[in-house]
Amino acid sequence: MVLSGPSQERKVNENSSGQQPLTGMRVLDLSGPMGVYCGKLMADMGADVIKVEPPGGDPMRKIGPFLNGDSSPGHSLYWLHFNTNKRSITLDVADPKGAELLSKMASGADVVLETSPPGYMDSLGLGYDRLSQGNPGLIYASLTPFGQTGPYKDFKATDLTGFAMGGYMYVTGWPDTPPTRLWGSQAYNTTSNRAFIAILLALYHRMATGEGQFIDVSMQEAVAATTEHVNTTYNYTGEPAVRCGFRHGGQFVATWRCKDGFVSITTNTQQAWDDLRDWMAQDGMAGDLSSERFNDRFILRGEHGDHIEELIQAWALTHTREEITEWGQARHHPWGPATRADEILENEQLWDRGYFIKAASPGQGEKMVYPGAPYKLSESPWQLSQQAPEIGQHNDEIYRSDLDLSQVELDALAAQGVI
Amino acid sequence: MTSAEKTSNSGHALQGIRVLDFTWIHAGPSATRVLADQGAEVIKVESNQALAVVGGPSSATARGLGQRHNWNAGKRSISLDMKTPQGVAIAKRLVAVSDVVAENFSGRVMPGWGMDYQSIRQIKPDVIMLSMSGFGRTGPWKDRVSYGQTLQAYSGFTELTGFPNADPCGPASAYSDAVGGMAGAQAVLLALLHRARTGQGQWIDLSQFEALSSLLDTLVLDMSANGSNSHNLRSGNRPPHETGAPQGAYPCRGEDRWVAISILTDGEWDSLVHVMENPAWAQEGRFSTADGRSSHAEELDSLLETWTRQHTAEEIMRLLQDAGVAAGVVQTGADLAENDPHIKGRGFFRQVSDHQGISRTIEGAPYKLSRTPGGAKSGAPAFGADQTYVLRDVLGMSDEELADCAIAGVFE
Repeated sequence: MVLSGPSQERKVNENSSGQQPLTGMRVLDLSGPMGVYCGKLMADMGADVIKVEPPGGDPMRKIGPFLNGDSSPGHSLYWLHFNTNKRSITLDVADPKGAELLSKMASGADVVLETSPPGYMDSLGLGYDRLSQGNPGLIYASLTPFGQTGPYKDFKATDLTGFAMGGYMYVTGWPDTPPTRLWGSQAYNTTSNRAFIAILLALYHRMATGEGQFIDVSMQEAVAATTEHVNTTYNYTGEPAVRCGFRHGGQFVATWRCKDGFVSITTNTQQAWDDLRDWMAQDGMAGDLSSERFNDRFILRGEHGDHIEELIQAWALTHTREEITEWGQARHHPWGPATRADEILENEQLWDRGYFIKAASPGQGEKMVYPGAPYKLSESPWQLSQQAPEIGQHNDEIYRSDLDLSQVELDALAAQGVI
Repeated sequence: MTSAEKTSNSGHALQGIRVLDFTWIHAGPSATRVLADQGAEVIKVESNQALAVVGGPSSATARGLGQRHNWNAGKRSISLDMKTPQGVAIAKRLVAVSDVVAENFSGRVMPGWGMDYQSIRQIKPDVIMLSMSGFGRTGPWKDRVSYGQTLQAYSGFTELTGFPNADPCGPASAYSDAVGGMAGAQAVLLALLHRARTGQGQWIDLSQFEALSSLLDTLVLDMSANGSNSHNLRSGNRPPHETGAPQGAYPCRGEDRWVAISILTDGEWDSLVHVMENPAWAQEGRFSTADGRSSHAEELDSLLETWTRQHTAEEIMRLLQDAGVAAGVVQTGADLAENDPHIKGRGFFRQVSDHQGISRTIEGAPYKLSRTPGGAKSGAPAFGADQTYVLRDVLGMSDEELADCAIAGVFE
């Protein structure tokens, strides 16, 4: 493990002014992998997010990778990452007694976040129509693969197939590889990101009017709205965008193999194109690229594409990522190294800005590093105050203090397997 | 808010909010498009210096025109030459009547105009300023320049995306810009909520590098805790977090047609085998458990292909969905626009009129809010289309002032 940089001793909860944008908002988070990141975004911005787990623990606790490769309870890094700052209760919402408790909690909640198939929450008496009767200000966000309406509403999907149906997978990959997913669970993350925007809009509307509302988020649409060029290319040219590896827009924006990995070279301006050709010429590797007929950088996209590509690729192999990055950045060109996963924690910019946050790993005393704020708000910032909760860690304080249940009632519910 | 505002927001959550928008290209405009869709008045400040960039007012290509409309629908535009003192003075007068100022210039530009956050809060104490940049406005890399693809390389996404035995391919498009846009919209909305509750404005220092890095799932935790034993590696179409096979895109009948199939549980595997009508290879012992399927995933992929190639992608999606298995066509832009009855039925794509009355297709919001559905009512504005409205109606400039500025070239 490499830890370096001036900010490595930065502590959790360094931030100042106290109130966060969502302080005081209560969220009931019943989501699975599609929405768990949305719950984290709200919790990290100050909301009191209560993760409602089935008795025995949420299935997401079994998703790897695991701390030290140990898959016993409490070691899922997936769980630790996606549930920061949340509280946890156990509750079987499919049991009528459990449903009744949830509805009681919802009467005082600001947001319900859930990812079950359309109609399922209604069948438990926990749909928006029912819960909003007692709490008209309630914001109820349902995240599903295809939304609440339409012919595919009951179709199943995972991150992979959502990515495919949203149109992003077809264009990702090389012409001679199958369509390829983005690394990580980006269809789920995108659904969560979009849902968070919708919830914030609804909270703002409620502040003005007191009205809550129902939010229907479709993973397919969340992905489709995130592809940059897939829809505009087809809708404005009539031709579907295709896979071209990392030769985006021809070699105009491209990644090349170099001496020690891969490097991104964007010739977004004439100056960048001329500088690149000059450097190649100094190295004696420009071939005929220095000739006038290659002056127009848009030629990169045209008939000579293969020829130009061969020359640039041969030249790039003679330099390292750092050489190319430094040379380009010194001339204000957007060039940069393709960082390998094992180099992520060496990033001096992220350390300097306090993006990385060190915290003890649960029960181990070892230091772990958490990813930090997606953006810095000067007066009401992102915070990491609590690591992810243990199973039912907050049952007592929530059931006894908030819902006024007695120990006898709690014991009875536990005996019945409701909590 | 006043009671008048309460009753007049007519299906838009941000009625009454004004955004002074200096952003350009993709990330910034897609953030403010979210706000415009919900009724905020977004005034793009444009200059003829940037006419032909992607999504600029005179985008040279059809695709550029599409991006112009897609990310700028429902906004207003004024042209202002910020190299003139009068141009800067007008921009500052606009700050005084705006709730949000958004920009994605390099770090020297806004201070150069005397419009950094500390300066503009003197004009409007509760202003919210969104500064979007590649790497943030502090730190050793604050002056580095980037495109979306550059940030994808820096963040690790480029190296991580693709098949383990081939060159990485990276995200096909500027995922980083889309992420920056989502993060920008979130940050502004969070700041608006904070202002509504406390009266306080603030500055948002949005590093698109950080916004993108925050989507690396468990990678940072895993690298710090497990180091070189990490399982977060380039893994093709297999999920990095969960075991389960088959998982991937499988070729179907037709040219470059594919279906994505995702099997996680034994039950789903049994359903798949049943739909395939129980081929002999699927009965073999090594495929009977999730672990077995995972460790023979490549072999399983090629066997499964022999079945998928006999059918169209749509047929396979139907057959497997009827059996409760997650399967979906690997849809192209043409599929989304023409063939997918579902996304059409939900009205995801919208038709809006541009300034010449030509109907343009844009993406709608990927969420439906029951009380504030919002939605853009027009395409992107023509360059400088709202000069009169903004300068005369919003700022109350006189004809004489306008004429003086026009002579001085302020509006070019």
